Amino acid sequence: MYAHPDYLVETDWVADHLDDPTVRVVESDEDYLLYETGHIPGAVKVDWFTTLQHPVRRDFLSREEFETLCSNSGIANDTTVVFYGDRNNWFACYALWLFEYYGHKHSKIMNGGRAKWAAEGRPLTREVPNYPKTSYHAETPDSTIRAFRDEVMRHVAERHPLVDVRSPQEFTGELLHMPNYPQEGATRGGHIPGAVNIPWSKAVREDGTFKSADELSEMYASQGVKPGENVIAYCRIGERSSHTWFVLKYLLGFPRVKNYDGSWTEWGNLVGAPIEKGPVETKGG
Amino acid sequence: MDRSEALEVILDYYQNPRNYGEMQDADVSLQGGNPGCGDIITMFLKFNGDRLEKVTYTGEGCTISQAAASMLTEILPGQTIEQIENLDFHMIVELLSEEMVKTRPKCSTLGLDIAKTATRQFHQQKRLKE
Repeated sequence: MYAHPDYLVETDWVADHLDDPTVRVVESDEDYLLYETGHIPGAVKVDWFTTLQHPVRRDFLSREEFETLCSNSGIANDTTVVFYGDRNNWFACYALWLFEYYGHKHSKIMNGGRAKWAAEGRPLTREVPNYPKTSYHAETPDSTIRAFRDEVMRHVAERHPLVDVRSPQEFTGELLHMPNYPQEGATRGGHIPGAVNIPWSKAVREDGTFKSADELSEMYASQGVKPGENVIAYCRIGERSSHTWFVLKYLLGFPRVKNYDGSWTEWGNLVGAPIEKGPVETKGG
Repeated sequence: MDRSEALEVILDYYQNPRNYGEMQDADVSLQGGNPGCGDIITMFLKFNGDRLEKVTYTGEGCTISQAAASMLTEILPGQTIEQIENLDFHMIVELLSEEMVKTRPKCSTLGLDIAKTATRQFHQQKRLKE
C-alpha cells in the first residue's frame, strides 16, 4: 500500500468530483497546446514554462505571483487541487511540487493522467472555465523539498543517495544533450558522483498509472535508495525528477527527499563540479 | 493574427495534417527530435535542380512541433537551396505567432531545423557529384 494514498486519485474519483466546489482540476502538460485541444471539464491550465517560470532569471514565479495564479484560477488555500497531464503526469508532478513549495496543503495526482482519461472515453471540452477570484495566501518557500547547488555538493561529499532519473545515455555521458536540442544540453556529460540511474519512467506502467508500492520499493531499494536517508533526485531541468520526488515522498513515504531543479543543465556547466562518466555497478539492496 | 486565430490555425494543422507520409522517391530524408521528450519528425525532401519541389513528413509529438512541420510542407516547396539554408526562426514566428515560438522554441523550430539540415546534406552531395 502506498504511504500516502490520499495523494493519488483515480479517474472515476475525478469524474465524480467535477462539480465539487472544493476541488479544482489543473492540467499541466509538456505539450503547450494540448489543453486547448480539449481538457477535463472545469480544468484550468497551468503551463510549466509560461506560468510557473520566472520570465528572466532561472527560477520560479515569485510568492506573490503564485498567489495571483491561485486566485485567478479560483484556488483557495483549502481547495483540493488535482493535477493531471500528458507524459505520464510528468509536468503534473512538477506543478504539484511547485504548489507544495509555496505551501499548498491539499494536492493530488490523477493516476494515469490525461491519456488514461481519454482512453476511457471520458469527456473533454474546449470550453475554458471562469472562476471567481479567491484570496490566496502562499507560504514561505519550503526548503525541505528543493535542493540547491551547494547542498548537492555537500550531499555528494557526505555520500548520501542521489537519484539521476535521466536516460541511461544521458547518465553515462554518451549524450550531452537531446538530439537537435543543443540549447538544453551541458558542456560536459556524465552524472553527479555517487548517483544511481533510475529513469523516472520506470515508476509507471504502460497506461501511465504508477506501479505498486512493492514494485516501486524494490526498484529503488535494489539500487540502495531507501527511506531513512536524505535523498536528492535530479534530471536535466528538474521536471522528470519531480515525478520521482512524488513517487519517493508520497507513494513510498520517504521523509526526506528533495528535487534538485538546477539538475544537469546547472551541474554539467558548473566550473569545477565533479563528474562521473559511464555506467554504475548495481548497488546491493 | 491574434492568439485565437493562431491557435485555430495550429490546431487545424495538428488535427488535419497536410502532406503526411513517407516520400519513396525523396532525394533526402532526415529524422530529428528526441524520443524521450516525445517530439520526433522525419522530413522527406525532393528537389528539382536547385529548387525544392516537394516536402512530406512523418512524426509524432506535441501540437506545436507537428503543426509547424505540416505547415512547412506547404511553405517550403518552390524555394531554392540557398533560400532554405538562410531561413531562421523569424519565419516560424510568422507561421505560428511570437507567443508559440517563445513558449516552445525547440518544438516550433524542430521541423525547420531538420529541413535545413537535410537541404544542406543534399547540397553537399550534389556538389560532390558535380
